[in-house]
Amino acid sequence: MTSAQRAAPWPAIIAAFVFAGMLAAVAAIDNQRLVIALLCVFAVVWMAAMRLGVLARVERSAGQYPHALRGAILLAALAAVALLHEDNFGLLMIATVLLYATCCIGLTIQLGYAGLSNFGAAGFVGTGAYAAAVFNWLPWLPDPLVLVGAGLITVIVGSLLLLPVLRTRGHYAALTTLAFGIMFGVFVDATPVLGGPQGLKLAGITLLGWDFSNDIRVANFVISFYANYVLLALAIFALAIFIASRLDRSWLGIWLDSVRLDETASAVFGVNIGWWKILAFTAGNFLAGLAGATYAQMMGFIAPNNFTLADSLMLVSAVILGGIGNRWGALPATAILVLLPEKLQFIQEYRLLLFAIVVVVILMASPAGLVPRRIRRLEPGVVA
Amino acid sequence: MNNNVLDCRGLTVRFGGVLALNALDLEVGRGEILGLIGPNGSGKTTLFNVVSGVYRSDGGSIQFDGEAVTRLSPQALCRRGLARTFQRSRLCLSLSVFDNVVLGAYRRINSGVVHNMFRRRAFADELKLYVEKCGELLAIFNPQLTTRLFDPAISLGMIDRRRVEICRALIGQPKLLLLDEPSAGMTQDETSQLMRELIAVRRQLGSLTIVIIEHEMGVIEQVTDRCVVLNYGRKICEGRFAEVATDPVVREAYLGRAYTKSPVGPA
Amino acid sequence: MDIVAQHLLNGLMQGTVYGLVAMGFTLFFGVMNIIKFSHGDVLTLGAFGALVAAGLLESAGLGAWPQILAMFAAAVAVTAISGTEIARFFVLPLRHSPTLNILLLTMMLGTIIRECLRLFFPNGGNPQRFPALLPPGGISFGRVFVRYDGIILLAVGIALIAFVQWVITRTRFGLAVRAVAEDEETARTMGMNFTRVVRLTFALGSGTAGVAGVMYGLYYSEINYAMGVLLAVIGFSAAIVGGLGNMWGAIIGGYLFAGLQTIAVAIAPAASEYKTFFAFLVVIMVITWRPTGLLAERRSERV
Repeated sequence: MTSAQRAAPWPAIIAAFVFAGMLAAVAAIDNQRLVIALLCVFAVVWMAAMRLGVLARVERSAGQYPHALRGAILLAALAAVALLHEDNFGLLMIATVLLYATCCIGLTIQLGYAGLSNFGAAGFVGTGAYAAAVFNWLPWLPDPLVLVGAGLITVIVGSLLLLPVLRTRGHYAALTTLAFGIMFGVFVDATPVLGGPQGLKLAGITLLGWDFSNDIRVANFVISFYANYVLLALAIFALAIFIASRLDRSWLGIWLDSVRLDETASAVFGVNIGWWKILAFTAGNFLAGLAGATYAQMMGFIAPNNFTLADSLMLVSAVILGGIGNRWGALPATAILVLLPEKLQFIQEYRLLLFAIVVVVILMASPAGLVPRRIRRLEPGVVA
Repeated sequence: MNNNVLDCRGLTVRFGGVLALNALDLEVGRGEILGLIGPNGSGKTTLFNVVSGVYRSDGGSIQFDGEAVTRLSPQALCRRGLARTFQRSRLCLSLSVFDNVVLGAYRRINSGVVHNMFRRRAFADELKLYVEKCGELLAIFNPQLTTRLFDPAISLGMIDRRRVEICRALIGQPKLLLLDEPSAGMTQDETSQLMRELIAVRRQLGSLTIVIIEHEMGVIEQVTDRCVVLNYGRKICEGRFAEVATDPVVREAYLGRAYTKSPVGPA
Repeated sequence: MDIVAQHLLNGLMQGTVYGLVAMGFTLFFGVMNIIKFSHGDVLTLGAFGALVAAGLLESAGLGAWPQILAMFAAAVAVTAISGTEIARFFVLPLRHSPTLNILLLTMMLGTIIRECLRLFFPNGGNPQRFPALLPPGGISFGRVFVRYDGIILLAVGIALIAFVQWVITRTRFGLAVRAVAEDEETARTMGMNFTRVVRLTFALGSGTAGVAGVMYGLYYSEINYAMGVLLAVIGFSAAIVGGLGNMWGAIIGGYLFAGLQTIAVAIAPAASEYKTFFAFLVVIMVITWRPTGLLAERRSERV
């Protein structure tokens, strides 16, 4: 590797702290004008970073020092949590962003890697959520099993759709998941045992004996109990990134890409197309179910109107906006999509309209998304 | 033991009312380079598509290395040692050169989920091995390509893309290689160079049987041991290029009856 | 038996509306290989336009029939124009983009229309009462009660379907549409004005939806800003099940979907909320069995 390509670890570490800081700041500040001002500053910083090639340096650095990056993210997250130690709502939102981003990574694996369209993602997230709610009726079931179990149930429900997903292409394939999303909504709304339109309540999480409704006390420092969920969400997000990055930076990533780009050529060279599509679909659904279950237990309550077509579209939009196939792009995209409507109260009424306009503008101006996916460089020595 | 790598008997392919292959009989001997020529629409690419499993035949049989393979899937045929290139370049342009070439080695690579996701050191070793293999193979065609292994395929010129496609077909060490118009869009010099590289590769890889579809007769003359001429899905002539080039039936197929009233001397 | 007949008539009505929407989808796909998901919300826009027109004419003191005509005219005008302009500014320039992008883009455009109606139309968030302008009452065949307005609307709908079919199969314009659908480049080389054909096709398809929207409103006596969403998904499903690009397929798909819903309600009246669930389930099964739709030609790619 030439010296020009050998990067330092610092850009990645600094970037992690800067991003965490921005996230925490937006989550913490209540004054709307200040939030808008802050957002303008961030937008300028972002565009400058892109122009000056800073982002490229960060990406190279992140690719070569994955351990440093992970350590930095963890430290930055802990710092952010400490900063927001009293801000319940801020912590809740950060946890929501992380879980949302997890769903988006699952969708990235399906859409960005394998080319499977999924317009019913909210239905899969909802399946995980409702599975957790149903598990709630079995209080003796430990929560780690509940979360994983919800993921597995989502996989099982998803596997019912495998045959249509594998046999159809293009618009016909889009219909399958679109229909599923609608079917899920209709089903849970109409089934009284699942709460109907009123929804279901859930208890919070207890992991390894630690009840998540307890505040964290470190010496004299008290951190709101929502921090528990932030840390859990961070762990789940890390798992999602781990799965996606191992998939992508391995032979499997190449096979998935070739299935997406040219099925005929792939078949001729022996690729078992169905198997890789199944893998991608399953992995994405598991992550969606896991995130949904965690979200449900965190909120304590779910209802059919949490998982509508609009939510599916939001997830797909986040994946596209973050750069299709770019697993890290989901994080800033979901941060914007989740935080902005909450923070800028005056646009609450208009949030769907503004969101739709933004998506249209970006789709017309930059169809590959805001942060396009970098080419895979599996150079020996750089494998994480 | 059968000395034919490929044996087609009575092969028929229909597209609606059009008979693309009409009870075609074709043999490809082990280790030979066979040229497949004929006017446009005579069924050459269709033959490749049927043999490689992309199209289904409507009649007849195919034997690959003595084994009946009619109606097998493309994947099954690949496993038995078949590789091909396409008439219209089919590279994944947004992927790197390496990604494209290594696709050809799919059947030899460990694609286990656990191996890929968790056994990183083993994966790294395998990766290193294939990066070297790719480099060596590409170097036979164009040494410059070894420095561009991780550049996106779209950044390559036409000839380099062709070379990458051929390497993709070769890296899996196939028994039979089907080349569909490898020289399309190239100048005479580029074509001769590509053919020289191809012969060099074959020498290195030991016994490799090749079937080439070409319109460029210079290539056929230079490179092939034997030719088969198709027209309207049937074989109308076969033999060495010199014989085939002067055959009146072949001339009529290409030039029409009006130009074949009197045989013209060798070109 | 009488209940069955009642359901049957309801189903026919629904099927006609779905079929009209599906025809639009299939027309747009046929001519440009894209799915314009804003179709349902354009329909809603037309229905609201009709409401405004009726209101204006009523304040001008005009009677029922002028109002009805004005409603249809307004709806057709609004949908034809908005559908065409959406095509011109958003869909035509991007028609070579990946499938996903166009689906998402048009879904978002539909959302914009829907939200604008909700936010800016007076009391837009609530269902709007559609004037009951058609003759009330009906005829009784034994114990089956058939509404007059149902008959009229059904007749209008079927006539419109027949009209569009006639245009596509028997006029020069229809020939141009089919030529462009088959092969854009060749059609252009043959001298057809691609842009004009596309624009007119969108006008035709969208206008059809305008009529469907008014039919819906007159039959159910109310409309709401979100009615286009489910209609679009169902219309899209119907077009797909029938085979994208095939007009008869779209019509059959529409009646099929309505038929499935009707069967669900007839068999299990207590579980009638599941009718849409059941219908989509069957749709998915049909698509699995016939991945390119019931009537679509199998297209092959040149390898």
